[in-house]
Parts: sequence; C-alpha cells; structure tokens
Amino acid sequence: MTTRVLIVEDEPEFMRRFSNAVLNDPTLSLVAAVSTGQAGLAMLDLQAPDVLLVDLGLPDIEGVKVIAHAAQHHPSCDVLVVTMFADDEHVVASIEAGACGYLLKDASAERITASIHELRAGGAPISPGIARRVLERFRTKASAGFALGPTPQPEPEPSPLTPRETELLRMVAKGFTFETIGHLLDISPHTVVAHVKKIYRKLAVHSRSEAVYEANQLGLL
Amino acid sequence: MSWRSTAALAQRCLSLGLAALVLSLASVQTWASVIEFEHMQRLDSDAVLPPDPANTDGWIDTALPHAAPAAPEGQRPRVTWYRGNFDGPADAGSASTWAVYLPFFHEGGQVWVNGRFAGNVPEGTPELRVRWERPHLITLPPGLLQPRGNLLAVRTAAAPMHGVQHFPRVAVGPLVELLPRADRRTFWVRTMPQVTVVVCLLVAGFVLFIYWRRRSEVLYGLFGLAAALWGVRTLTFVIERMPVDSWQMWRITYLAATGGFIVVLALFALRFAGIRWPVIEKGLIAYWLAGPIWLGLAGEGYEGLINPLWSAGLIPIGLAILGLSVWSMLRQRTLAAAVMPVTLVIAVLAGVHDYLVAWNTGLLARWAPHWASQRIFLLHYGADLMLLGMGGLLTVRFIEALSSLQTANRKLADLNETLEQRVAERERHLAANFERMADMQRDRAATQERQLIMREIHDGLGSRLFTSLLRVERGDMNDRQIADTLRDCIADMRLALEALAPDDDFQAALGNFLFRWQTQMQEARIQPAWTIDVPDSALNLSRQAALQLLRIMQEALTNVLKHARAKNVRIELRQRGGMLELEVVDDGMGADLSNDKTGRGIGNMHARAKQLGGELDVRSGVGGTRVLLRLPMSNAATAVGRAGA
Repeated sequence: MTTRVLIVEDEPEFMRRFSNAVLNDPTLSLVAAVSTGQAGLAMLDLQAPDVLLVDLGLPDIEGVKVIAHAAQHHPSCDVLVVTMFADDEHVVASIEAGACGYLLKDASAERITASIHELRAGGAPISPGIARRVLERFRTKASAGFALGPTPQPEPEPSPLTPRETELLRMVAKGFTFETIGHLLDISPHTVVAHVKKIYRKLAVHSRSEAVYEANQLGLL
Repeated sequence: MSWRSTAALAQRCLSLGLAALVLSLASVQTWASVIEFEHMQRLDSDAVLPPDPANTDGWIDTALPHAAPAAPEGQRPRVTWYRGNFDGPADAGSASTWAVYLPFFHEGGQVWVNGRFAGNVPEGTPELRVRWERPHLITLPPGLLQPRGNLLAVRTAAAPMHGVQHFPRVAVGPLVELLPRADRRTFWVRTMPQVTVVVCLLVAGFVLFIYWRRRSEVLYGLFGLAAALWGVRTLTFVIERMPVDSWQMWRITYLAATGGFIVVLALFALRFAGIRWPVIEKGLIAYWLAGPIWLGLAGEGYEGLINPLWSAGLIPIGLAILGLSVWSMLRQRTLAAAVMPVTLVIAVLAGVHDYLVAWNTGLLARWAPHWASQRIFLLHYGADLMLLGMGGLLTVRFIEALSSLQTANRKLADLNETLEQRVAERERHLAANFERMADMQRDRAATQERQLIMREIHDGLGSRLFTSLLRVERGDMNDRQIADTLRDCIADMRLALEALAPDDDFQAALGNFLFRWQTQMQEARIQPAWTIDVPDSALNLSRQAALQLLRIMQEALTNVLKHARAKNVRIELRQRGGMLELEVVDDGMGADLSNDKTGRGIGNMHARAKQLGGELDVRSGVGGTRVLLRLPMSNAATAVGRAGA
C-alpha cells in the first residue's frame, strides 16, 4: 500500500521538485499538487491523503489554516510544513496547528522522501531552535495558568510533557544529535524521533485546548 | 483667645481683687451703735481682777492701737490692763445681744464689763506659746449693760520676751453688727492663709516634680521652691499655738522661708530675664542663709535685733528684683514681661507696708491712722499674686513650648512629606532618565545590528552573488559550480538568520549549527565529533562575535567537506583561561593553501578572527588540516548587542 501525498506549493519550481521526488519513489503516490490554499483544502477533503506537504506562504490563505483543517478533519493525515530556512517561529506555529514535521525547501530529493517515510514510521524531525521553542511554549503555557484572569481557574495545568520528553527536548536544544541523545537516554534514535512526534502532537492538542479555553472565555463556544 | 489676652485678663482680675481686698479691709463703716475705742486708759498691772474703777492712780490715757515697747533689759514683760467707758443700748431691756470685738489680741487675755467677767482668750503658758491672729468676739451676757457708763476692762497677757505688745482698737456694739466685721477679718487673716498654705504646698509639689523630671527647667525649680517657701512662711498665720520648745526653731524656719522666698524670687527674675550672674546668685543665697543661721547661733533673745536688720536687707533685694523685671519688661515689651514687675511692685509695696506695720507703726499711722490701726499684713497677698503671676508665666511658657513642639512636629511632618514628594519626583525623574537611556541603548543596539545585517548582505551575500553573476555571464561556471555557489549563499544566509535571530542567543545558534552540519557531514560520509567544553556563561557572546565565530566554523567545515576528503572531523570549542578556542581538525589530505579559492577562504577567516581581536592558525599537511582560532573571551562578550541580553 502506497503512501498518498498531497502537495500544496505555489512556487512551480519547488512544486516540481517535490512532485518529482514523490513520483520517483514507488512507495509513494502523488494525490495532487496544487498551488493555492483553497485548492489544498478541497483536495484534502476529496482525497484524504496520508501526507500533506504544505508551504506556509500561499497566495490566498495562510498555510497554517490548511494545516489546522487537516489536523481537525483528517487526523490520520501527517502534515509536513515546507520552510525555506526552518525559521523556528513559523515551524512551531505550524506544529501548534497540527504539523508533525518540517521540510527545508532546498532539501534533496532523498531527504524529501526520507522525511516522508520517517514521518509515516512515527518519527518527526526537530532542530535545536524548534526544541527550545517547544519547551518555551509548554513552560509559558503552564505558568500562564497561574497568572490568568480573575475568574477562578482550575488547577494550573502541569506541563503535559513527561520528564523524559522534557529531558529529550533539552538535549535537542543543546545541539545533541539524535544518536547521542538515544545513547544518553538509552533508547534507539528511532524512539527519539517517535518521542518528538508525540511531543508535537501534545503541543498541537495543548494549543488547541488553549484555543478552546480562550474561546470559552470569550463566549464563542 | 490668645494667651497674651488671657494673661492680661487674669492680671486685671487680680488687680481688681487686690483693690477690693484693700478697700474691704480699709472701709470704715460706722454704725451709730458700735463704739470703737480710739483711746483707753492703760495700767501695767498683773492683777487678776480688774482694778478698782474708782482708783485712777497709775492709769495712763493711751491712743489705740497701742504698741507697748518691749520690756527693758532684765525685766519681764508685764501684764497690762486697759479700760474705757461706753454707753450701752438705749433700751437696756432689748433683746439685742452685745459683744466686745477685738480685731487682734495676739497674747490673749480677759474681758470684763462692769466688773463682771465677760470672756477670755487663752493666754500663753510656760509650755505653750500663743499668738492669736484671728479676731475675737466676746459675747456679753444679757442684762450686763446699762444704758450709760459701762466700764470695759481688758487684761492683756504679757508679751513674749523682747516682744512688742500690741493692743487694738476695741469695739463694742450689737453682735449682729460686729459679726460681719469679725467674719471678714477672719476670712482674710485666717482662711486665706490656710488656703494659701495648702495651695502653695500643692503647687510646689507639682512644679518641683516637673523640675525633678526635667532638670534643665530651672525656672520651674525656682518657682516650686518659691511656692514651697511661701507656703511654709504663711504657716505663721495658721499656727496660733506653739509649744515653747519649738518656738525658736519655728522662728528660724519662718525667717528662712521669708528671706528664701525673696532670694528665690530674685534668682527667678534673673533667670527669667536671661541673666546669669553666678557671683550675685551665690551672694543672694549667702544672704538668705545668713539670717536664720545668725538667729540660730545668737539665740532667741536676739530676734528683736536680728529680724528687723536682716529683713531690712531684703528690701533692697526686692527693689532690685523690681528694677530688673522692669528693665526686662522695657526690653522685651511684651505683656508677659509686664506680669512680673506689676505683681512685684504690688508685693514690694506690700512688703514695705508690712515692715512699717510691724516695726514702725507710727510712720504709717501718720498717713493712714485707721488703716494702721487694723494691723493687716499685706505681703502674703502680694506674694500670692506674685506666685500666681509666676505660675501664669510658666504656664504660658509651657503652652508655648507645647505649641512650638506641635508646630515643629507639623513642620517636620510637612518636611517629611515634601521630602517624600521630592524623592518620589527624583525617582520618577531617574526612572524616566533610565528609560530614555535604555531607549537610546536599544536604538544604538538596533542601529548596530542593522549595520551588521547591511554589511552581511553587502559584503557577504551581495558580493558573492555579483561575482557569481559575472562568472555565469562569462560562461565561466558550470551548473554544478553555480549550484554550489548558490548553496553557499543559502548556507550563509541561514547562518546569518540564526546568529541574528532576535529571540535567540549564541547557544541556540550553535545548536542549530551543529544540527545542520551533523546532517550535512553524515550525508557526505564524514564522521563529525563535536566537543563543546565551555560553561554556558562563556557562551554569552555578542551577536557579531557569534556570527563571526560561526562563519569561521562554517568556512572551516566547508573546506573539510569540499576539499579534504576526510573520514573524520573533530570540532572542539573550549575555554583556556581567558581565551575561547575553536579547533577543527580533519584527517583528510590537507589543503593546498596556495590555491586561490582556498586561500581566499582562509584569508576571510583570518580577517574575521582579526575583527574579533583573536588570532587564527591554519596548518595543513599530509595527515590533514587543523584550524585553531583563539580569541579573548572579554572581546567576544563585550560587543554591544549581546545575544540574548
């Protein structure tokens, strides 16, 4: 069974590059390659792909919206966000919206397909900068629970990360390689990236529950 | 009402009161029916019964009041009889009761009317000495008097040794008419002194307590002392019976109290006027002590000599006090300063008056015979007034001190408030300044970073793109070379983005750098070994330093990747003393340093190292290449725009 991939990328050169990489891998099949967010949303609902490759800077709507749509309506779909410089803020925003990993625009074809396979296998890429930001997100959210508003708050939510996950993030943030981290934590590199994916999921859920909470506060729900 | 007007009012009341006293004492109300003897016959005789009325031998007509001089030396003072005729009530049978009124009767004695005993005033005995200050009213039994030719005979006890025997103007009349006279005199000569004693001693206790607690308030001490002395002195009008054994001691006490009062008053006036003359003060105290000591040493018999002499010496002291306080008043020109002299004038006049009454009645009698006959001593009223004045002054001072304390407190509070306001203002000012400085610093840092980025784009990326463009146009580059160059450009940009990311510090940039190069090396089949042996604090590099350091690292690694054909590369960042060291060692074939491209790369590294104030050492040989960068930590950290700051 092949992995069905949807590509949403407005720059033709990159669309071609990603498309070729997918097409050249027999275990992957290209569902569609579209250049607008709206088309992306339509294809998502129509095709329910296994993997979504999406650029953030789309001409019509923000890539994050496409990601959020995928995460909400197609939870089994793994989302890879395409980024030029892995500039962490955008990537973390994407992860919060539901992305499970990122792909650099200048990545080689092998890197592209390898990333897709890793993702399907349960792993996710992470850079030190992203690890730092993820750590910060969880920290500030947990502590923000204390400071928030006059309304009686439920117990300030403890960080949803396990101590091991936190430790792992810290190591990543310090620039340790997955091999080193696996060695230090006595786990395989594969398990390391699996942890990362779990962490991403938690961040997305976390941010969504935050959003729900905020919406509740605003009387939207 | 201000204290000044209060003081003035009090003073006015006092003056009026004193005037009323003098008037009431001096007023001679004549009733038709009251007979006042201005003359009587006198006979020195210690007969127990009144001498025979028919016998006129030895009787001398005497004007009253009479002061019989002290008995000559060697003779005992004698008992004296006085007698006089008077007409009784027109209607002898009327129910009105008559009485004999003796305004004073110091030694006591007996009163006989028409040969019958009418009453007596206890006389002194060898054990008990009496001196009656109170007036006496002897009620006559009904039916004793005749309409005409009644004979009043009064036996006066002997005066004390060396004492003058005074005999008053006796009055006879209806009891109802004499009673108010007696009551009035009783009040002034008896009740008032009692009240004075009690009040003086109470006030003295109170004021001396204040002085005891606050020794610096000498005026309070003097005032308390004066009040106490005056209280003791006034006892002489209260104690009418005294055991003979205590007499001498009492007289000394009395003398000491009287003189002491004057002297203490003088000291008070000096201090009050702000004058400190220690010699004069000592002299005054010495004079004060001299009288009582002299009397104590000389013995009882000399009182008649010592008392007038020594007491006379007090008069100039009193006058000096008066002069001093008048001078002080003129100088200060305040109502408060006038209280002392006014009361003093009154007191001194009273003192002089009393002296005359006591020792030289004749002089006074020449001007005011009736008044002199009353033998009223005024000094203690004057002194009471003076004590009141002094007390008033001290009270005013006390209130002023309280007020000024309150004012001072209020001022202090105001001052505190002002001070706090100023401090707050200054704090605000400082905070504003600080804010401004921080703003300026931020601006400066932002400017520097902007310059850094501009230079980065201009000198780095820009020049490389331009060069590449020229070479591509010339057809000098094949596709692979172009791709390489573009990859280099992207890598440069990535590095710049990481190093200059506003939220990240060098550590984050380094982490990302390692992460990226780990992948890149592994894809090129080179095994990297990273050693970061630097405390976190040492990684607190400025952005510029961070960027340059990472550039050097990137250049070194790029060389390894492209030219070295190495299998392993060891990258070590470490601290050696005050130096930060970066070492990149590969096991490749060594670089040709003379090669144009390689040479340019190494030249760039040298230039960057120099910018950081460090030095670069590149050695290349058959066994590989080693790049060593050494730069002082302080240089790396001090540049403005420190990452993460």
